[in-house]
Amino acid sequence: MFDSIQFSSIGEFFSMGGYAFNVWTVYTLFVLFFAINLYFPLIRKKQILSEQKRRLIVNREMQTLKNDDGENS
Amino acid sequence: MVRPGEHDILLTSMHNLNSRQESAVQRANYMWMWFSKLGSPKWFYELSGKWLPWLVVAMSLLLVVGITWALLFVPPDYQQGNTIRIMYIHVPFASISLAFFPLMAVAGTITLVWRMKLADMVAKTAAPLGAWFTALALASGSIWGSDIWGTWWIWDGRLTSMLLQFFLLVGVISLRSALEDAEAAAKACAVLSIVGCINVFVIKYSVDWWNTLHQPSSGFSLSDQAPNPPEVWIPLVIMIFAIYLFFAVSLILSIRNEILVRERRSQWVEELVQGT
Amino acid sequence: MKPHRQKRLGIVLFIAVSLSLAIGLTLFALSQNIDLFYTPTQVAQGEVAAGQRIRIGGMVKEGSLYSADDSLMVQFATTDYVNDVMIHYEGILPDLFREGQGIVVEGSVDAAGVFRASRVLAKHDENYMSQEVKAALDAAGASATNHPLTSQPES
Repeated sequence: MFDSIQFSSIGEFFSMGGYAFNVWTVYTLFVLFFAINLYFPLIRKKQILSEQKRRLIVNREMQTLKNDDGENS
Repeated sequence: MVRPGEHDILLTSMHNLNSRQESAVQRANYMWMWFSKLGSPKWFYELSGKWLPWLVVAMSLLLVVGITWALLFVPPDYQQGNTIRIMYIHVPFASISLAFFPLMAVAGTITLVWRMKLADMVAKTAAPLGAWFTALALASGSIWGSDIWGTWWIWDGRLTSMLLQFFLLVGVISLRSALEDAEAAAKACAVLSIVGCINVFVIKYSVDWWNTLHQPSSGFSLSDQAPNPPEVWIPLVIMIFAIYLFFAVSLILSIRNEILVRERRSQWVEELVQGT
Repeated sequence: MKPHRQKRLGIVLFIAVSLSLAIGLTLFALSQNIDLFYTPTQVAQGEVAAGQRIRIGGMVKEGSLYSADDSLMVQFATTDYVNDVMIHYEGILPDLFREGQGIVVEGSVDAAGVFRASRVLAKHDENYMSQEVKAALDAAGASATNHPLTSQPES
C-alpha cells in the first residue's frame, strides 16, 4: 500500500516530471508564508515590549519630576 | 452582567441561601466564572503561553512527516503526474480558509452579546490571517491549474466565490481600520462577519450547485485498489492537521500581541514588561 | 455638519454599501444560472443563439480527434454521451487533453455552423490514484470513470 520513494535520482526529484515550476513555486510560497507568519508576530512582540518598557520608564521619570517639584515649592 | 471582580461578592452572598438552591446557583455561578475566565485576557495569555511550545512541537512533527511524504512518497497521479503534490498544500489551505468567517462570526456574536474582550481580539487578528490563507489557497490553485486545466484563472462558481471571500476579508480589515471608535469597529466587523458566512456555503456547495471547471470534493477510499486510496489521503490528512496547527499557532501569537497592546495599562502586563 | 459626524456618516455608508454588496452578490449567485458551460445536448436543443460566445463542456469523444501535421489545428467531437458537437481549434492544448478527457471549450458557432473554439480547458474529476491502481481498476473492468460531467446531478 505504501510505496517507496518515487524518484530514482535527485535530478528527477527536482524536475518533478516536467512540473518543476508548478510544484516548487507552490512549496516555496508555502515556506515563505510559513516563515513570515511566525517571524512577524515574534518581532512585533519584541517591539511592543520595548515600547511599553520605554513608556513605563518615562512615566516613572515624570512622576519623580513631579514629586521633586512638589518638594521644592 | 457579572464583572470578574464581583464573583467574591456573589459567592459570599450565596452562603445565605439554603443548601439545595445553593448547589444549583453555585453550579451556574461556576459555569459563569469559567466562561468569563475564558474571556479574561490574562488567563488566556498564561494558558496559551503554556500550550504554545507543545503546539509548535506537534506542528513541526506533522509538517516534517507530511511534507516529506507528499514530496517523496506519494505516487504520481495517473492523470496529473507530480502536480498532485500541490494538492497537499492547496487543499489544507483551502479547507482552513472556510473556517475563518464562521470563527469570526462566533467571536463577533460573543462580542455583540457578552462584550467579552478576548472574543474581539480573536475576530480582529483572524481577519488578516484569513486573507493570507485565502490568498495562498487561490495562488496555489492557480499555479496548479495553469498547466493541468490550461488556465490560471476562470470565473467559475468555486473560484469566484473564493475570490469574493478574499475581498470580504479585506473589507473587514479596512472597516476596522476605518473606524476610530474601537467599540463601534468591533460591532461593525461582527455584523459583516456574520453576513459573510453566507459566502462560505456558496464556496462549499458551488461545485455541486453549478457546473464549474473546478472538480467536486473528493471522497476517500479505505481500499487501496480504488480511486483516492489511503496512499493518497493519509498524507493529506497529516498535512491538514499540520496546517490547522500552524493556523492555531499563528492566531495565538497574534492574539497574545493584541493582548499586550490592549491591556498595557493593567498591572499584570506592566509587571510582565518590567520583567523583560 | 461637524467633521466627526461627517466621518461617522461616511463609515455608516461604507458599511451599508459593503453589506448590501455582499448580500446582493450572494443572492445574485444563488438565483442566477452561473453555470460555467452548456452541455452538447443544450446546444443541440438550440438553447444557444448562433454567433453567441459560449462555453461547452463535455468529453472528447473517443476516436474523434484529428490533428493536423503541419499546424496546431485540431478537430474533435465533444460529447455528453447523448449529443455531440464538433469543435475546431487552433492553439495550445492543456496537458490533460486527450480522447475521453473532460474538457471545456470557449468560442462560438460561425456562419458555416462550425464551432470555432478560442480556448480549450481540461476538466478533471475528483479521483486521484497512481497509474498502478488505475491500471488494476481498468483490468478489473470497474470503470474508474473520468466523467466529470455525467457525475453532475444535472448538467
